[in-house]
Amino acid sequence: MAKKCDLLQGTLDMLVLRVLSRGELHGWGIIQKLEQLSQRALQVEEGSLYPALYRMEEKGWIEAEWKVTENNRRAKYYTLTRAGRKQLETEQAGWDRMTAIIAQVMQSA
Amino acid sequence: MAEEMRFHLEQRAADLAADGVPGEEAHRAAQRRFGNLGSIQERARDTRGWCGLERACKDFRGALHQLARAPGFTVLAIGTLGLGIGANTAMFSVLNGILLKPLPYADSAQLDRLYRATAQQADGHFSPADWRDFQRARASYGDAAAYAAGHTSLSDPGQPAEMAYAGRSSLNLFSLLGIAPQLGRDFRPGEDTPGRDRVVILSQRTWTNRFGGRPDVIGRTLRIDGEPHQIIGVLPAAFNDWRHLGMVDFFRPLAFTPEQATDRLGTSLRVIVRRTPAHSRAETAGFIAGFGTRLAAEFPAANAGSTWRMVSLQTTVVDRQGPVMMKMLIGLSGFVLLIACSNLANLYLARTMARAREFAVRAALGASRAQLLRPLIAESLLLSLAGGACALILALWFRDWSAVRSTGENGEQVFFALDGRVLGWTFAASLVTALAFGLAPALFALRLDLNTTLKSGGRGATGGRAHQHFGRSLIIGQFALAMILLAGAGVFIRGLHDLNHRRTGWESERLLTGTLLLPAAPYAGPEEISAFHRLALERLSALPGVASASLSAFTPLLNWPDTRRFHVEGRERPPAGHEPAAAVNPVSHHYFDTFGTRLLAGRPFLDRDRAGAPRVYVISQSAARSLFGTANPIGRRLAPVAGDNLVWGQIVGVVSDVRSIESETGPVALQIYQPMAQDPQRRNELAVRTTGLAPSSLVDRIRTTMAELDPDLPVRRLQTADAAVARANYQLSVLRDILAAMALLGLGLAALGIYGIMARTMAQRTDEFAIRLALGATIENVTRMVLAAGVKLALTGSVLGLLGAFGVSHLIASSFPGMPVHGTGVLIGTTLLLIAIALFACWLPARRAGQVDAIAVLRAE
Repeated sequence: MAKKCDLLQGTLDMLVLRVLSRGELHGWGIIQKLEQLSQRALQVEEGSLYPALYRMEEKGWIEAEWKVTENNRRAKYYTLTRAGRKQLETEQAGWDRMTAIIAQVMQSA
Repeated sequence: MAEEMRFHLEQRAADLAADGVPGEEAHRAAQRRFGNLGSIQERARDTRGWCGLERACKDFRGALHQLARAPGFTVLAIGTLGLGIGANTAMFSVLNGILLKPLPYADSAQLDRLYRATAQQADGHFSPADWRDFQRARASYGDAAAYAAGHTSLSDPGQPAEMAYAGRSSLNLFSLLGIAPQLGRDFRPGEDTPGRDRVVILSQRTWTNRFGGRPDVIGRTLRIDGEPHQIIGVLPAAFNDWRHLGMVDFFRPLAFTPEQATDRLGTSLRVIVRRTPAHSRAETAGFIAGFGTRLAAEFPAANAGSTWRMVSLQTTVVDRQGPVMMKMLIGLSGFVLLIACSNLANLYLARTMARAREFAVRAALGASRAQLLRPLIAESLLLSLAGGACALILALWFRDWSAVRSTGENGEQVFFALDGRVLGWTFAASLVTALAFGLAPALFALRLDLNTTLKSGGRGATGGRAHQHFGRSLIIGQFALAMILLAGAGVFIRGLHDLNHRRTGWESERLLTGTLLLPAAPYAGPEEISAFHRLALERLSALPGVASASLSAFTPLLNWPDTRRFHVEGRERPPAGHEPAAAVNPVSHHYFDTFGTRLLAGRPFLDRDRAGAPRVYVISQSAARSLFGTANPIGRRLAPVAGDNLVWGQIVGVVSDVRSIESETGPVALQIYQPMAQDPQRRNELAVRTTGLAPSSLVDRIRTTMAELDPDLPVRRLQTADAAVARANYQLSVLRDILAAMALLGLGLAALGIYGIMARTMAQRTDEFAIRLALGATIENVTRMVLAAGVKLALTGSVLGLLGAFGVSHLIASSFPGMPVHGTGVLIGTTLLLIAIALFACWLPARRAGQVDAIAVLRAE
């Protein structure tokens, strides 16, 4: 298990969008997925996740729908919208550029 | 949302349970991990769009709570807003009702009034011959209609005779205005010839009041001036619009006898034109002016020196004083609002200062600027809504008052409807006011330095020097405005009082006046009229308690509108149209005794000055001076200008000048009297001077006497001369009442303002006073200090306001040339009054300075 690490400021939206780009998930599922993908290195606070979800829903990046889970519970599933996909691309590009620049500075300095 | 989060929690718990954590434990751990459910939900909610509404509701609930916790502030603020905006709304409804609301005619922008200006009268009217010439000449410049209005008597058998205000119009008046009768028909061609003109169209008001709005009224007869007329139509309610012809009870067609049709001297026709789009407004106006010039050249005897002009119909709804009155009303009500605003600002400032510590603490705990501002804005909005509602109530009340106050003799009312425009104005004004004066201090508060406020403990609420300066300049401004308001109202009240009590050349004690109109049918010629006059005066003079009675064409109360030109014997004749003009009043022979007009030389009219006797005149003092200088006028001869056959009459007496109580006229015109018997009039002013008895007790006896003479003859407006005077200037007295109310309002608000700020200063300086007292200052010293500070503010404001007050009294003097204006006295009085009020308002809190218990206050430190 990797060392636990706080989420970098402003990256939660991108991560959530990215996770959702693979298919619909509920809030719990998103957290599970994030932890799983980061090999439990990333700890996402519920207190940050839900406000972020509602905010993105409000902006039209994701859509929510009440569905029944595999073990017969009602849960709210989120899917990416077209606008969300675009937003993900923008954020991804921004992120790539940023990390590249930072990496370059760190290496050459 | 809650369900979604519950699902999450349960999943987590299940997850933990799967890891081997026992059920109860797992739940708690899940809770721990999740954090505060409520706070997360709240934060989540914040990100949603509709939360704006929810948050606004919360803000408003909070604001309500805050306002309820400070009832004094709330009541004062709402009351101040309500009064200030209410005064403004009421005045705006007047402006709206008079000037902004379009006239109820079709395409009224194309409608214009024509006026004929002469040296005596700027807004004069037209003679039948001029009107007929104009009808022939106007050709392609559009359509024109003429009308005249006057008093007639209505006498249905078995009902007491009444006077009615009746119009006569050209056949096309209603079609030109674009108004069709709601019942029956319009006039038909041919009904403008004498004999066929006994048809009448009723106004909606007359139809309702006199005929109960019954539809079978068409075809019935109405006896007007003793002649039966057939009712052919009823005008729609829109025609009741008081701004124009709405006060007319009914219309008959204008029908000229051949003799009347060629008359160029009697100018009673009003003319309205509807322009055609074929010509521009300027072209039409040019044509009208040119036509007037042509008439003046062609008929100098009647028209020399007269000019024609065209004025948009919409602007003619008010007389010439109207716009000035409107500006005064709107301007002064604006001042009231400004005073109210600055009061509000002071109130708000005080409240925000008092809460400064609370804001500082909240800001220190991380509240954002927006979070601090929102409740303040919510409070302002609530206050403005409540204030606006109060203002509406005030405006409604004013509407009812003005309707009652303006009720005329025929039951007509001037009604200022509160339409959408007025409502919009009210709430826009209250919103702007509350936001501008609620937000400004709020912003002020947010500029406070947190540290200073927190450090200075409970006393941090005093605010900085700048705040105190701000509050004081508001008070100075208030007093300046109050000064202008008070001075304006004062000058006007005093002026109107003097005007109403001006009796130049006559006396009003023990005097009764009334109007009567002899119908043409039974009183066809001069002999019949004179016979009635003699009989009526004989009977009236014989009544017990009557000192003398007279009949005349005019009374000294009002201006005499008719002027005639005269030749003076033994003088070179000036070119036609430039002879001296004088107002002529035909009077019965006891007229001068009855009105108390003093005879200065010669003799009054006597019983022997009858129709067949040599013509005689009595002239006024200024006429004598103007026509004959210092020479003796008695025995000189005058002749009215009329073609070549001059009829000379001898001047037998000189009487003092008479000045009316109207506000418009400036200098006194030349006045000439002639015996009523030598120029009998159908329209008469009756005057009775009583001996000692209270004149009003004679009213019924005079009515009975006249009814015995002719039951069809109504005597209108039979009342004491003093009451008639008050009635004559009643429009001005409405204005006076409004001005007085606004001045009182302004004064009250200003007093409240200075009281508030002094009371606050007192509360803030208690410690200082305690120290002063402890160090040996006497209570008088401290009280005087407080008083001096307040009076200084009031005095500064009043002196600044004096400048504006001079302006207002100038404005009044120039718009009401007939009104005596005593600026200086009123201004001095006003200043003293303001200082006195300020002293009193400061004394109330200053009194408390003496009650400061130095030991207790200092120990509390």
